[in-house]
Amino acid sequence: MTDSRTLAYINMYAVLGTLENLCELDDKAKEIISGIEKPISVAFDVKNGPSATLTFSKNGCRMDDGVNADCDIKIPVANCDKFNGIIDGKVTPIPTKGLTKVNFLLKTFTALTDRLTEVMRPSEEALKDADFFRLNTLCTFYTVSVALSQIGNQDAIGKFSASNIADGDIQIGITNEVYATIRVKDNHMITIKQASEKPRAIMEFCDIPLANALFAGTVNSIDHVGNGNITIRGLISMVDNVNRILDRVALYLA
Amino acid sequence: MSKFPLYDTTKSREMFNRASQVIPGGIYGHLGPAEGQWIPVNRWPSFSEKAQGSYFWDVDGNKYIDYMCAYGPNVLGYNDPDVDAAALAQLKLGNCTTAPGKVMVECAETLVDTVACADWAFFCKNGSDTTTLATMAARAHTHKKKIIFLKYYYHGDFPWAQKIDYPGITPEDVANNVIVPWFDLDALQKAYDDNNGDIAGLIAQPYDHGNFKDNEVASKEYWQAVRKWCDDHGVVLIIDDVRAGFRLDLAGSDHFYGFKADLICFCKALANGYNMSALCGGEHMKATVSGITYTGSYWMSAVPFAACIACINKMKALDTPTMFRRLGQMVTDGFKKAGAEHGFDLRVSGEPALFYLRIANDDNLMLHQEWVAECVNRGLFITSHHNHFINASLTEDDIKLSIDIAEDAFAAVAKRHPELRG
Repeated sequence: MTDSRTLAYINMYAVLGTLENLCELDDKAKEIISGIEKPISVAFDVKNGPSATLTFSKNGCRMDDGVNADCDIKIPVANCDKFNGIIDGKVTPIPTKGLTKVNFLLKTFTALTDRLTEVMRPSEEALKDADFFRLNTLCTFYTVSVALSQIGNQDAIGKFSASNIADGDIQIGITNEVYATIRVKDNHMITIKQASEKPRAIMEFCDIPLANALFAGTVNSIDHVGNGNITIRGLISMVDNVNRILDRVALYLA
Repeated sequence: MSKFPLYDTTKSREMFNRASQVIPGGIYGHLGPAEGQWIPVNRWPSFSEKAQGSYFWDVDGNKYIDYMCAYGPNVLGYNDPDVDAAALAQLKLGNCTTAPGKVMVECAETLVDTVACADWAFFCKNGSDTTTLATMAARAHTHKKKIIFLKYYYHGDFPWAQKIDYPGITPEDVANNVIVPWFDLDALQKAYDDNNGDIAGLIAQPYDHGNFKDNEVASKEYWQAVRKWCDDHGVVLIIDDVRAGFRLDLAGSDHFYGFKADLICFCKALANGYNMSALCGGEHMKATVSGITYTGSYWMSAVPFAACIACINKMKALDTPTMFRRLGQMVTDGFKKAGAEHGFDLRVSGEPALFYLRIANDDNLMLHQEWVAECVNRGLFITSHHNHFINASLTEDDIKLSIDIAEDAFAAVAKRHPELRG
């Protein structure tokens, strides 16, 4: 069972939030934003749900929590279902502010989200290209890392798992490639897209192919703890509970 | 230079990889790399070749002094001659037969004569079988639905005893579980009131020996208060003595803490590795249990009963609980002293017979995991997350060797962490 509100938080922070990483890692995304002359911001405000502001410039993209009062384009959304519909492409977003800048939404923003979809939901053929395979894995890593916290904070069963996690940092990563920190405080989780300075627990995948297979659900993490391809250490109860939430990430991102 | 050379575990890795081809997870459950916390995996033995007394040998031929005792069943020493002789003699007479062997009655009588709260014994195979029967009995006896658990509980892996976020578990599987903190009588009353009194039983281990945390022993006063509360509210008091049973007190851990359980679950130390478990209880629960539909293909096999009788008689003759307390104290005192000499703050908690260890210099167990890996890789088999077990074949020479290895391992870790010296 999944719920619409949790999915909206995942869609906002984990899926749209991955635009930050796409713009940093992907040449095609860099090309799309290269024509932005001055920074432009788009805010999504979901009633009884998440709200965030994405700011784009020719140098990249940044997501901030909440609606930035100075945003250029504001898109209020009536509820979580409608927002999930926007992400699925079934509902058309209607801005209430920045109507003169709607061209950005129609061209640049749409091109970026289309590219994100291409990267996150690739064809088998596309994945045969090593560079694209790497890009897909790294972007998925960021999406999953952020989705973990959203599920731990919003989903009923995820909240149970989060309630059993001690305070502190859990570092997850792909060796020598990419790291993220899940910071837990009073059972609330936030994801920081960088390594922790003082982790209390660590879970690390040995390489890109293993991480990709884990995210695709074609291999099981327990098997790879056994053969040493996944390294765990520190407060393993923290890793255990994150893994239980990870099990639910696949459910939401399927 | 290390006094104890590091073991080569190449064949263990090969055997594990072979196992992974045909067994999910290679070694699943508590003996495997994930639940068993092999950190890092290449320092651990995977499969054993043989065992004797307090030792086992892995497939590389490395010898380990074993403080996990197969996570409890090894209570007298691997291959105890008296228990094995009784088992083999029964094997020649018959084992899994249509009419159960008469030794089943003798085994039940032995338990009734040994366990303070027992007027009867019902036999199964694993701890989970008995905790499940106990909760069914509580419900059948009271016609109520919910069961109170104490936080950090572990009562086996059957769906009702798992948690809502575990793979394969539905919310309905655990809908009747009410979890309260240890040592909090007010929380018991609140749980009872919040559930409109629909509480059939309270299931608990005799003290808080949860994993990944310092263990916390109970007091007689606490348990006597819980006993009274259960009596006042018509709640069946179930003691899960699967892990601690017979290591604290041959009359049951409830007897050790000065109260009488309504139902008590035994398994690990019951028959020195022969596979059986038992639910025991008071006369007032006997008719209820008689009426429950519950059986298994191998539950009345005779060989484990013969082993159980021999095991209990030998534990009585040796007064193993007193021995375990003394040996547990001796080995942990030695570990603490060895650790302190190298700047480690090794904390020991729980009952000495089931001691739990944690290096407290950091807040994330990483130093502790390093030390445990160095110990294991030198032949001292301990764990970083679970309580340990003493067995009756352990000698003072074994303990001296254990402390020497522990000291060597502390030295190796200290060398990598000069900051420990300040």
